[in-house]
Amino acid sequence: MQSNRLLLGVVIILATIVASGGIMLWMRMPSNDTVQKPALQDQKLAHQQFLLNEPLPITLYYPHEGMLAAGSAVVKRQPDTQSLARAALAALFADQRATLEPVLRDIRLRELFVDAAGTAFIDLTPGPQKDVRASAWEEQLAIYALVNTLLQNFEEIKQVELLLDGREAQTLAGHMDLSRTFTKRMDLVKQ
Amino acid sequence: MRTLFALIVLCVCSLPISAGAAEKGLTVNSVRYASYAAFTRIVFEVEAAAPYVLIRSTDGRSVTVSSYDGPFLLKTPLPMFRDGVVLGLESREEAGRTVVVIRLDGAVGDVKDFVLRGPDRIVIDIAKGSAPVPVPPTDKIAVIVLDPGHGGKDTGIVASQGQEKTLTLDLAIAIRKMLQKDPHLKVVLTRDRDKALTLDERAAASNAAGALLFVSIHSAADAGSRVFIQDLFEEQGTQTVRPVSGDFLGYEAGSEQQEMLWGKQQAAHARESGALGRKLARQFAGQDSAEPVQAPLALLKAVDAAAVMIETGAAVDRAIAAEAIARGIELYVKEN
Repeated sequence: MQSNRLLLGVVIILATIVASGGIMLWMRMPSNDTVQKPALQDQKLAHQQFLLNEPLPITLYYPHEGMLAAGSAVVKRQPDTQSLARAALAALFADQRATLEPVLRDIRLRELFVDAAGTAFIDLTPGPQKDVRASAWEEQLAIYALVNTLLQNFEEIKQVELLLDGREAQTLAGHMDLSRTFTKRMDLVKQ
Repeated sequence: MRTLFALIVLCVCSLPISAGAAEKGLTVNSVRYASYAAFTRIVFEVEAAAPYVLIRSTDGRSVTVSSYDGPFLLKTPLPMFRDGVVLGLESREEAGRTVVVIRLDGAVGDVKDFVLRGPDRIVIDIAKGSAPVPVPPTDKIAVIVLDPGHGGKDTGIVASQGQEKTLTLDLAIAIRKMLQKDPHLKVVLTRDRDKALTLDERAAASNAAGALLFVSIHSAADAGSRVFIQDLFEEQGTQTVRPVSGDFLGYEAGSEQQEMLWGKQQAAHARESGALGRKLARQFAGQDSAEPVQAPLALLKAVDAAAVMIETGAAVDRAIAAEAIARGIELYVKEN
């Protein structure tokens, strides 16, 4: 009778140990979801990579025959608006249609940054000739080529300020007032 | 009633005024004005509010301001201005007392006045009339400022016809020659030789000359001629100082107020600049529908007068261009 009770106790303890071990093992086993996650993440990353590699179509504005003309271009996608805007202006400055005209031919893009309020600061620097000579009309068209290109392509950018060599400047070529902010002027675009 | 009697208004300030202030009369520290769409406002800033008298003449062409009791002291020169409602301000001695006479266009409407405190001000609002009447010819000389663009090391553009600084100077001299035939016009050039001037120096020269109108002359390499007026854009969300024409006369040079207002003078002349721009654009184009171009111009924003910038195509006949500009200026002066 005494030995039977002892045997029953041992069996119960062993059964408990086996059951606990089984539960722990089961809990440690990876679920179906977590097994699949790395694959899904890889797919998403691959999709994002595909989008980043896919060129982004933009509209460039450049002076042409006494007005602004609109032309299409593509830029590499960027992770944020600031980088995209920089790429858009780099495309404008690299575009032969824009650089045929005074002012855009004579200046370079030094830097561009966008603040939280949606103001894009375009920092320009004169080219090697160090002197920008243009009529008031040519100067106005060049400024609005930059402004329209940014404001027509990026809705996060609300207005533009122009700097010369990192500083506020009075004018670019002696006529237009750079101390203010600019918004787009579509009336200067040839229809 | 206006045609029968002089309208005499005794304006006793409703605000508390000490007896001492009344005995002392009125001391005017500054006089300024602003032109609005419906009326012109003239503000007399006084040391202490006191009773004053406002008299409108029987023909409605002038308003006289004087102290009700005691002397009327002017500690500042009166601003020189005319805007189609007010033709000018002058101080006079009448029966041993100083009065300020505001000369009005014949077609102006009601004249209202009120007092503001802290600092104490007498404010006179003169409403525009419904039907403009031609201003009778006067002997007053209209000052025209011509500004030949660029100069010195700044040659401007270089065209086959020459450097822009030389082309603009030649054109300005030719226009001056034409305008000087009219004895009612005084023509001032910001430069009459090859000389470098900053944009602010050009605006300051015009303001100091008391210009009725300012024309900056430039050249373009292409064949097109354009007339620009200031694009009066106001930045959103920024605190703006109300442009008040003539305020510079009351401020010390380099004062904080002057710093704040410099570059905002043109805003008070938007209507006149538009009218001058249309006159010149139509003379150039030979079309009654031609309009000036609005642009953010660094030079014009500080000019305290009707102001435009003209860009003549380098290939345009200089004599024809000079004639068109001179004729546009003469037409504008006749109507203003």
